[in-house]
Amino acid sequence: MGGAFLAPLAFTAGLLALTLVPRIGDHPALRWSFWGAAAVLLAWQAALAVRSRREGVPVLHLPTPRPQHYVQALCQIGIYAYWGWHWPPVYDFMPLLAGQLLFAFAFDLLLAWSRREPYQLGFGPFPIILSTNLFLWFTDDWFSLQFLLVAVGFLGKAFVRWERDGRRVHIFNPSAFTLAIFSVALLLTDSTHLTWGQEIATTFGAGPNIYLVVFTVGLVVMYFFSITPVTASAAATLFGASALYGAVTGVPYFIDSEIPAAVFLGLHLLVTDPSTSPRTPLGRGLFGVLYGLSVFALYAVLGAIGLPTFYDKLMAVPLLNLAVPGIDRLVRAIGERPVLERLGLTGPLGRLNPAHMAVWIVLFAAMAARGGADGMHRGDALPFWEQACSDERPQACERLIRLEVSYCGDNAGWACNELGRHYVEGRLVPADLDLAFVYFSRACETRFQPACLNLLEPSAALGGDPRALDLRLLLREGGHNLLDMPEPDLYARACRHGWSFACDRQAASR
Amino acid sequence: MSVSRGRSRRSHVVVTCALLAASVWLASVSGASSARSVADLPPEAIPEFVEVPAGPFLMGAGPATDPDAFDNERWSPTAAQGTVDLPTFYMARHEVTVAQFAAFAKAGTWRVDPRALAAPPDHPVAFVSWPDALAYGRWLDAGLKRSSSLPAWLRARLDEGWRVTLPTEAEWEKAARGADGRRFPWGHDPDPARANYQRAGTAPVGQFACPACAFGLADMSGNVWEWTASPYQPYPYDPDNLRATIDDDALWVMRGGHFGDPARLVRTTTRGGADPGARRAFIGFRVVLTGRRF
Repeated sequence: MGGAFLAPLAFTAGLLALTLVPRIGDHPALRWSFWGAAAVLLAWQAALAVRSRREGVPVLHLPTPRPQHYVQALCQIGIYAYWGWHWPPVYDFMPLLAGQLLFAFAFDLLLAWSRREPYQLGFGPFPIILSTNLFLWFTDDWFSLQFLLVAVGFLGKAFVRWERDGRRVHIFNPSAFTLAIFSVALLLTDSTHLTWGQEIATTFGAGPNIYLVVFTVGLVVMYFFSITPVTASAAATLFGASALYGAVTGVPYFIDSEIPAAVFLGLHLLVTDPSTSPRTPLGRGLFGVLYGLSVFALYAVLGAIGLPTFYDKLMAVPLLNLAVPGIDRLVRAIGERPVLERLGLTGPLGRLNPAHMAVWIVLFAAMAARGGADGMHRGDALPFWEQACSDERPQACERLIRLEVSYCGDNAGWACNELGRHYVEGRLVPADLDLAFVYFSRACETRFQPACLNLLEPSAALGGDPRALDLRLLLREGGHNLLDMPEPDLYARACRHGWSFACDRQAASR
Repeated sequence: MSVSRGRSRRSHVVVTCALLAASVWLASVSGASSARSVADLPPEAIPEFVEVPAGPFLMGAGPATDPDAFDNERWSPTAAQGTVDLPTFYMARHEVTVAQFAAFAKAGTWRVDPRALAAPPDHPVAFVSWPDALAYGRWLDAGLKRSSSLPAWLRARLDEGWRVTLPTEAEWEKAARGADGRRFPWGHDPDPARANYQRAGTAPVGQFACPACAFGLADMSGNVWEWTASPYQPYPYDPDNLRATIDDDALWVMRGGHFGDPARLVRTTTRGGADPGARRAFIGFRVVLTGRRF
């Protein structure tokens, strides 16, 4: 009996051992989260041990590692490595990620044994944990909820199942399922501040050429698992809808990108679980189109009701997973029609993964060439949004405010002062002198002098040009701040962004 | 088949319960964090104001009047001091205490540095930035205006549009040195028995009795540096050129020196400057009731 129980005990011991790491042990809430998770696991093991006296020892298999687990995991690790290189908190988070993995293995194992099923000890938990954490972490003070997040993912995988193609399989992509559940709960309870979700969505694009990196890593996954149609059709849908919106309204849909970097990541690593996607390439293409449309719609809905828009990529996947049998039936129904045969979509080409990948490569190249990937986007420029707002373009003023909130959060004093002025003036937002005072204070603490004067007399609502320090944040184009950029280059870049004072200054220095 | 269905039903129940528990947990968290109350002003938060009558006073210092004077205290290249005429204002007798600042923090409308609340309640508050100090003044001003238990003179002033805020540099200096140009609030010579300086830490406000001090104000020398509402600029002092500093990367004037400073730094004319975002163990403030606009 003892032998089989060594595995969960070892994982739990590993979890406890991690509390000796200073990153966890020095933080009381984290330490207690780990102890609490370990206590639950130990109690569960004890209960199973008692049961095993009556029913016998549970079975543990050591199967051959499955590529859909370890290839995905390696690709995800590559993404973490690049992201962390450019945003150090990711590396700092690694002990917590390791803790989740140990918890996930123990939890999954105990769950299987509780259900009187043998356990396949493989790499299965890796992609679930790694992909979940690419999108949402709870803060250290609330890290116990991260274990709950993991547990819900595995519970969904174990219990929410259906018959598909004669096999009983899980319905939902486990990481997407738990992310969606928690997203809804966090939004309903206005508890987003308990997570690092916004920071994750914002900083994911901080590394240079992040789209190219995700695209390249994604090709590896595509090569092994034939999920290219999902990613390609979702990207094409989002890019097309974005471009159409931009052409009609004159402003970009996703503020500073055609597809936000974190959504682009989602297209590759969140929505592409082969076992919860449709079976055929055409079905997967439809699945991707629906995902693209859902992200597009959710972004608008969340933004309209004042909720954080980064949840757009997380909420629709379970619904799409539920639609998979319908999509498969639809594809079977229309697949018999000759028009698809003539298009080659039911023939060898339509099922040929390299052909799909070639189409995706061409599509990505076209997107990149049209400024839809890395590099400066017109929505990066604040003067563009100021102009669009004064031209009364749709959503332009709301987005200007949102950008200023974001830059103020980065401690750009100019942006905080502008927000304060908006709240004094009450033109773009409802007047709120208390909030204006808060924003002026933040700006003043960065030594933005007009804001300090505004604190003495808020109704004056004095403004000023951004300082070099502000420009280093305002011009970052979704990447890192520009702390090392020489001032002449900084002002040249500001001029490119449409800051007229910077152009004047540039001209004067010549 | 029926066994499988039963198990599936149980599974759904388990998942649903787990999700409900998570939602309830999150809801309670959210409720706790969003529960803010706008409490009435507690009695201990109401400061004791002392009238500083209208009239001129000599501001600044130079070697001719004070051998310890720093260059930045000199009024102009040709004069060590200048005359500034101020209308009546009311200075708080004491520096704002930790207890008073805690009442402000408790109101929940402003995020304060926890270090500001760590000292004993009767000590001067420290670890406050310049905006923190102004925010406190704004909160106190609103609370006083709402209060129904104010002395008649204070109610009348507030009804006339006077407000509680930080003193200007000139108001502070006049309140500290009086109209007779003292080097220290109590007179011309240093006296460690009358103020908390050259010591290891803060003391309860008003602990150093100083009946001889100008206007009977306590701790104008030492204990903590006190923020003022004036940007740090060269003299001569001009209250009307505030907006001229708009393009500056200005520091803000603080006065009075702190518990660890030597006598030279706790004189009534000593001028310190600090980054508005600075939160230090030796910087606090007191408030003024004034009829000026800025």
